[in-house]
Amino acid sequence: MTQDRNDYVESVTPPAGYDPRREQCLDFHLAEDLAAMADSDDKNFILTTVDNLFDWARLSSVWPVTFGLACCAIEMMAASATRYDIDRFGAGAFRATPRQADLMIVSGTVTAKMATRLKRIYEQMPEPKWVVAMGSCAIGGGPYFKYGYHVVKGVDFIVPVDVYIPGCPPRPEVLLDGLMRLQDKIRGRRDDAKPPKWIADYARKIPYVKR
Amino acid sequence: MEATAIHALLQSRFGDAVSDYVDGFEKGSLVAAGRVAEIAAFLRDDPALGFESLMCLTGLDWDGYDASGKGKSVDILGYDELGRPQASDRVGDGDLGVAYALYSHRHGHKHTLFVRVTRAAPEVASTAAVWPTAAWHEREAWDLVGIRFTGHPDLKRILLDEGWEGHPLRKDYVMPGAWQGVPLDGRDYAACKWDESGVTLPDDVKRPEGPQQPEGTQQPESGNQG
Repeated sequence: MTQDRNDYVESVTPPAGYDPRREQCLDFHLAEDLAAMADSDDKNFILTTVDNLFDWARLSSVWPVTFGLACCAIEMMAASATRYDIDRFGAGAFRATPRQADLMIVSGTVTAKMATRLKRIYEQMPEPKWVVAMGSCAIGGGPYFKYGYHVVKGVDFIVPVDVYIPGCPPRPEVLLDGLMRLQDKIRGRRDDAKPPKWIADYARKIPYVKR
Repeated sequence: MEATAIHALLQSRFGDAVSDYVDGFEKGSLVAAGRVAEIAAFLRDDPALGFESLMCLTGLDWDGYDASGKGKSVDILGYDELGRPQASDRVGDGDLGVAYALYSHRHGHKHTLFVRVTRAAPEVASTAAVWPTAAWHEREAWDLVGIRFTGHPDLKRILLDEGWEGHPLRKDYVMPGAWQGVPLDGRDYAACKWDESGVTLPDDVKRPEGPQQPEGTQQPESGNQG
């Protein structure tokens, strides 16, 4: 019944020229520069563009503003706690003031009363800044679409949104995935970039643990 | 003490101000709106009753029902499937009301006071001086159902912002399209187009070729276990 895990690894062959280090590096343009530096005789300086360096710094320390609105905030707190630990991705420093924050995770229902406050907090954040709409309510009103007299049907009516995370509420894994998509966007990649096909094939063959 | 006995005691004490015995899910008495505070003080102070606790105070809208409780619930207006508020000039024709859910910790018995007022003049005597917790509950009933509590120390909105028009939990309420510049209607998602012609991609990311299927119509690939 049970197959050895190594069978799966052997059954899928990476394409020629695939370098897994490229996928693992936070910024492989910078990584290429670092590799070039390591190969060179003179190891005292790094050659990269300032934009690349700044983007790498920004995506590695995205500080969110503490902005929990509803039940999605519980999942956001779970994502920042030890089991999921959003700090692994540099986004664990929740700031109590928008002046020190780069990212606003709109986690919950945006009411008309809160929308004006949300807009003000967003405007108080220094550039560059990003917004993540977390959950159905922040994306499009969610269950309040039909009879929600007080609910804004999507936070993108108020502020520009970079990443939408669906779910009601989204699990912490999805929030982490949304954060990584935001990091892709800061890096300049497509925000809906998919993994290579052979990785998707491999992931599909891993049997899930049934609970 | 049984609810029927409490009702009989109230009737013997207040006469016409206490009319019907309400035999619903919660047993109680229908009382006159102008004398609620007086009856409430008696219910709290009488040693045999001892209702020190106001568990909940709720505003009610009997739109579509007559005074005897006969009728049919009306359809509530909302936003249509495209998120636009549905317009209407219908004015509700039922009464408004208040329910006071009371509990006595001393005796362990419950009783519910019901009040009916007309939609034209929804005025009820405030019980904030009897039970301090009633002050916020009455503000909520004013905010959402629009019942004026005479003698309330600070009757203003508690949930919605100052300046909100209308009382949203009334059944003839029309949903707002915007409020103070904040849009409250939805978006026509079918008309939204995703245009990526102006998007510049990095060198290592290839744009998918061929016509793209719209979102949601793609068939999931087989083999997904779970």
